[in-house]
Amino acid sequence: MDTPERIVVVGGGLAAYTLGDALRSLGHRGEVVVIEKEPAMYDRPPLSKAAFAGDIALDGLAFASGGKLDALGLRLLSGRTVVGIDPDAGAVTLDDGTVVEGDAVVLATGGSARRLALPGSDLPVVHVLRTFADALAIRAAAVPGARILVAGAGLIGAELTASLRSRGVEVTLIDNVEVPLVPAVGQPLAERLHAMHAAHGVDVRVATISSLEAARHGWSAELSDGTALRIDAVVVGTGIVPNVELAEAAGLDVDNGILVDRDHRTSHPRVHAIGDVARTRSTDGTLHRREEHWEAARLDALELAAVLVGQAPAPRGAGWWWSDRYDVHVEGVGRMTGDGTAVFRGEDVAFHLEGRLLVGAVSVNDPHAVRAARRLIDQRIPVEAAELADPTLPLRELLRSARPAYAGR
Amino acid sequence: MVERIPAAKLGDIPDGEAILVPRSLTGTIDDIALFQDGGEYFALDNTCSHELASLSEGWIEDGVVECPLHTGRFCLRDGKVLSAPADTDVAAHTVEVDGDDILIVPNPERLA
Repeated sequence: MDTPERIVVVGGGLAAYTLGDALRSLGHRGEVVVIEKEPAMYDRPPLSKAAFAGDIALDGLAFASGGKLDALGLRLLSGRTVVGIDPDAGAVTLDDGTVVEGDAVVLATGGSARRLALPGSDLPVVHVLRTFADALAIRAAAVPGARILVAGAGLIGAELTASLRSRGVEVTLIDNVEVPLVPAVGQPLAERLHAMHAAHGVDVRVATISSLEAARHGWSAELSDGTALRIDAVVVGTGIVPNVELAEAAGLDVDNGILVDRDHRTSHPRVHAIGDVARTRSTDGTLHRREEHWEAARLDALELAAVLVGQAPAPRGAGWWWSDRYDVHVEGVGRMTGDGTAVFRGEDVAFHLEGRLLVGAVSVNDPHAVRAARRLIDQRIPVEAAELADPTLPLRELLRSARPAYAGR
Repeated sequence: MVERIPAAKLGDIPDGEAILVPRSLTGTIDDIALFQDGGEYFALDNTCSHELASLSEGWIEDGVVECPLHTGRFCLRDGKVLSAPADTDVAAHTVEVDGDDILIVPNPERLA
């Protein structure tokens, strides 16, 4: 593929910024235009955590100041919405009719918070968290003593619950499963993490919302377990829906995400997609799960930058993620499900082992365990369950004594 | 003149690990993380420029320290930021080895 001179990026989150930054690092000197409907290109993870701990400003979350964007040669069109793309022409049409043309178009449109579909879901006290404005709205509702119902106890719901408690909010946390995050972290750590909510004074329930309505003083939520709650606000943290509308309208292949190949190319060779919105389809047609983690968006962008300048992307390792809630830092790498054996190193670290190959690890307040695990996974270094379980054996030693790449089980 | 401050003895810091040297000892604005990587010693301001984690608790490998919280990476030699989510360098300090002593020469710009 010829190196595209002008690149138009739709969306201005982590994937878009990383792409621009990486293109420059790789020597691309052509025009890179980023079109973002929000006022800045900024980092999202603090929205569920730091945004509630102190004063926060969009400038503080921005990936780069105007000066740095200028130095990178990134042309940011902020506060602008894309209403259509023409893949054949490489043309992107903005809401005011402006057309921006590129030799390549990159869709980094991310996702939107999934919303409730039930009576009262459009009430003004129902919040989601995806943008800076969303965080400010939730924060405004999070006054001490306020009663807030958090729907969804996954990563975002759990972080928000902890943040709300830190502000003295009375939180009811509901999820439709007894223990969320089991697939991500395994049963024991999932139970331990979920139990932290009750220990911090959260009313934890297995339920969904049946309806929301105005009450005499505030609002009322009826739950599936028959409970009626008096609340001041609801925060919905039940995942995202990929923003595929532009791609779909342009005739690109879409299936719960914009379908891309390993080079992040969509069904049109001039258009690529990266980040939360992109879903990889293998050459045999197999559809893979979309990765919605911060690092996945970054890696997508680094890989695409290499592809766009005609280089081979670095091999991609096991997926990594983190979560910060209450006073704990949780990290995971790889997968904790599927064939294999669960191995535990004390109470803080869990591994998933297939044969003698590590495929996943999760830790609570022990990031080095996951850093080591990540390298053991990516380098396919064979290990023994007993080694992993032995807290007296530093995991670094397993790396240092790395044996030749292990081909079988 | 900036002092040479004894911060540790050879053998105090295992390879691939670090210790925290408090600012009360170094007279600097920030605590200092003193690293050993493959027999070489390096010193950086301790606080990650991203979310204030302690770099002395980071993962050290191939001349790089990775923040223990969110994997922002910094060059041990000069404190240059190498990857997101960190986007700002951290200050580096000079390290000298004199006999059994590991000495930190604080970066003059980081003196309190």
